[in-house]
Amino acid sequence: MKKSALLFCISLVTLLCGCGKRSEYAQKDLFAMDTYMTMTAYGENAEAALDKVCAEITRLESLFSVTDINSDIGRINSSCGQPVNISDDTADVISRSVKLCGQTGGALDITVYPLVREWGFTTGKYAVPEENRINELLGLTGCFNISISGNEVTIPENCQLDLGSVAKGFTGDKAADILRNEGISSAILNLGGNVCTIGEKTDGTPWRVAVTDPFSPSETICTLYVRDRSVITSGNYQRYFISEDGKKYCHIIDPETGYPVDNGLAAVTVIGDSGTYCDGLSTALFVMGEEKAISFWKEHRDFEMLIICEDGRIIITESLSENTEFTVDTLRQKAEVIN
Amino acid sequence: MKKTFWIITAIAVIFGAALLGCLNIFRKPRVNNVYIRSGGELIYTIDLSEAEDCEFDITYNGGVNTIEIKDHMIHVKEADCPDGICIKTGWIGGEKSTAPIVCLPNRLVIEPSNETSDGRTR
Repeated sequence: MKKSALLFCISLVTLLCGCGKRSEYAQKDLFAMDTYMTMTAYGENAEAALDKVCAEITRLESLFSVTDINSDIGRINSSCGQPVNISDDTADVISRSVKLCGQTGGALDITVYPLVREWGFTTGKYAVPEENRINELLGLTGCFNISISGNEVTIPENCQLDLGSVAKGFTGDKAADILRNEGISSAILNLGGNVCTIGEKTDGTPWRVAVTDPFSPSETICTLYVRDRSVITSGNYQRYFISEDGKKYCHIIDPETGYPVDNGLAAVTVIGDSGTYCDGLSTALFVMGEEKAISFWKEHRDFEMLIICEDGRIIITESLSENTEFTVDTLRQKAEVIN
Repeated sequence: MKKTFWIITAIAVIFGAALLGCLNIFRKPRVNNVYIRSGGELIYTIDLSEAEDCEFDITYNGGVNTIEIKDHMIHVKEADCPDGICIKTGWIGGEKSTAPIVCLPNRLVIEPSNETSDGRTR
């Protein structure tokens, strides 16, 4: 009797402990692509799968880096107008960027790098350039300058490419492919503010993705509930400088004017199936401004969108609104839902 | 007598486990602990509720971030990085603050323990 009662208690405690046991998982973090990345994957093969993802991120960084003269982009930028043979991945990103440039009327432009440099965003030596200099550099930009055929790309002398607006989204897509091929059905990748989700959480609930409050970057403005989606934001509140006359200049350059975007938007978050598309679009919609961004969404409807304006207004697409929890209730009442 | 003892023990274990479960579910996230990582290594775990006001430097590969703790909150006060994003992120320690502070050039991450989301877009 004594023995059976003891066994009963041990079984009960074991059972209760078992209830609280989490699934097998692995976590990795690394500094890459000029950002801090954290990754969590669930499943038996999670550790090995994330190791492959880390290796892939390092490989892609060595192809896309604008500061490495031996990368594909480095070689293109120093090619003096000569054709350059590049990897399949770089060719793929450039082709998709050029396509998206056309779709967005030039709002996404991977050739504005000379202007980004001139404003000091690559060096930290910020300065407002002379108007003549901006006009001169604008003459070097435009995706129509990029000629790509298979794995061969040619750009004019002094024209320069930078994949910063699409590279992390593309990397998220590649990482997701690796994880799925490794049998991982539940994972979340935080690639420096670009979030890529695979499947759902192991308890069957959607992933909770916090959207940073652009007016107080250590806080959350709302939480999005997503499954199998990329969530990517472009905003003016992280990388910017204040000039001597007190004006704020953000790091996203308007390809039409050559000046940092200043159109009343604080942040644009795009949610969709493709990280590359979401990444490029978040920049493009931020450049377009409120009216054009809403028109673009109404025309395409293949992504969800959250816009936060400088005056505090919030614009959100209807489906996304149903899967969003605002930190402060009044924000939901204030949000303008578009459909 | 022995039978009664074991029944009572079993019931106590069940209720004890249930109580622990409830406490875990209803525990409100607070930014008591912050984790400071430099170059990928966890170098400090600080309980902000216990921390005295102070300033200290964290150096990585020659880059320096000056951390300030004041009124049970923490932020990067000064940094020699070119973009200063770590300074602009602001303070961690309030009820609502949940985002980590990241200084990419100096490989510094200050993470609050109350991040209730799985990911963060910014």
